[in-house]
Amino acid sequence: MQTNRPLTFDFRLLLGSGLLFVVLSLAWFLDARQPDAVELIPTLTGKPEYCLTCHADLPEISASHPVETFGCVSCHGGERLALDADLAHSTMRGGANPSDLSVAEASCGGSSCHSGSEADDRHHIQRVMTSIQSTYAGAIAGIRYTFGAQTDLNAHLGIRAVTDEETKTGITSLSSFDPASEENPFVQKFGENCLTCHINAAPREGEAYARGTGCAACHSTGEHTLSTAIPYTQCNACHNRGNYDLRTMTFIERSDHPTQRIDDYYQPIGLFTRCEYTLDCVDCHTRSEVMGDGDIHKDQASIEYVQCRTCHGTLEELPLTRTLTDPNDIAFKLDFLNPVMDLKLGDTILVTEKGEPLWNIRVLPDGTYEMIGKATRQYFTFRPVMGTACEQKPDEQESHYCHECHAVEK
Amino acid sequence: MTNLSRRDFLKLARAGFLWLSGALTLGGLIRFLDFEPNPAPKTEFDLGPAANYPLPSRTLLADPPAVLWHTESGFSAMSLACTHLGCTLEDGADGFTCPCHASRFDADGRVTHGPAAQPLSALRIEMTDDNNLILHTD
Repeated sequence: MQTNRPLTFDFRLLLGSGLLFVVLSLAWFLDARQPDAVELIPTLTGKPEYCLTCHADLPEISASHPVETFGCVSCHGGERLALDADLAHSTMRGGANPSDLSVAEASCGGSSCHSGSEADDRHHIQRVMTSIQSTYAGAIAGIRYTFGAQTDLNAHLGIRAVTDEETKTGITSLSSFDPASEENPFVQKFGENCLTCHINAAPREGEAYARGTGCAACHSTGEHTLSTAIPYTQCNACHNRGNYDLRTMTFIERSDHPTQRIDDYYQPIGLFTRCEYTLDCVDCHTRSEVMGDGDIHKDQASIEYVQCRTCHGTLEELPLTRTLTDPNDIAFKLDFLNPVMDLKLGDTILVTEKGEPLWNIRVLPDGTYEMIGKATRQYFTFRPVMGTACEQKPDEQESHYCHECHAVEK
Repeated sequence: MTNLSRRDFLKLARAGFLWLSGALTLGGLIRFLDFEPNPAPKTEFDLGPAANYPLPSRTLLADPPAVLWHTESGFSAMSLACTHLGCTLEDGADGFTCPCHASRFDADGRVTHGPAAQPLSALRIEMTDDNNLILHTD
């Protein structure tokens, strides 16, 4: 017994030291399997962040937001020094989408970024917040009026409460639409089933509806990508996906599987001209129509104004134009963000009746026009209506009159 | 050949384990202490021998983005980080252009086109005793 004691003690020491060695070796092994920390110090913040340790494979989000300048945390939030995924992501804004309207001001705002002054054309977030795309004011007013919940068609409610103290439309605010407080069961059901299309709504299930929310709903055209070259397919995540049935207050998904571009549009009674089913939505519809102009509007019709004549003119008038003489003209900025035209001082472009530049349409020396698709970069030329055999009556200038002759029957 | 007793073998193995454990612990400690997760931004940049920048010369530096001049009056430098949001400016025939948001600056760093509102910053150049150039960004 006495002779065994020292051996047992030695043996225990051996086991202890061996166990210590195994534990430390295991710790080294596990640590060695971790990726090396990748440090980035964005010039904008000067503060190191380690997001690229795991996310180095993400594509650059846009030429205007290089990662070396912005880093990740400026927009996404999160714990910049954390190497543990759960901790790093714990304080991110908007989950994977910092442009969700609930956090867009913190992520995308700031006077130098997207919530600056109207004079500097940096009030993008204000424009989006008050736009029909996010208030859905027209649809809400229409349904409530139809079912007797309000006595006029004016906009009183929006998806969220919003104010515009410097309104040009006369609408200074909208209160939040609360379906649960509505008395009419149809309006309640509308609230339950039909609010999937405003840009901050979670999209319906299915690949055809896949989109982000907030700014990303329109501008995120791929994985970790922001763009102003927005193809019509992006718009189609909400538009042309089916129709609402007002009797049942349900959304009826389209059941066809279009193989031609013209059939991608889905309005059973709709008529489309060649340019409407060849170009992308953003080639004709202006930024204020689509993203809002900073004012609260009562419905879609009150903000949408581009017609066929905007580009083609009428029998008696050519379309409006502007010769670029100011290097600060907004057209140059838009062309810079999506460089399809290489505009130069002295170029003459088309403008709308509100003075918005149709900056991808340039007047050619022979009086015709050249246009480059903002998303497709396709080259087109076209001519004005004036001087053609068009027999349109002078008082019939809306697009639906053009459709009578120029639309393709589906 | 010496016969190793059982006790000696245990001692040797134990010592081996302890030494290796100690080495692993020391290595881990060094690795831990060596890692600085939140370093202060670098403000001094060694540009190497002044002789690398002959008179007269104009040199674009990549890190930090800056332009270094060597003229009769000596060395001078200007930051090429855009004063709008910090993107690195591109050198052009009539000044510098921001590839991110199209701000433009003339050759002396004055704003000619927004959104930037502030001129480019002059940077301090120091010559060391052994004729090396140090660029200061603070």
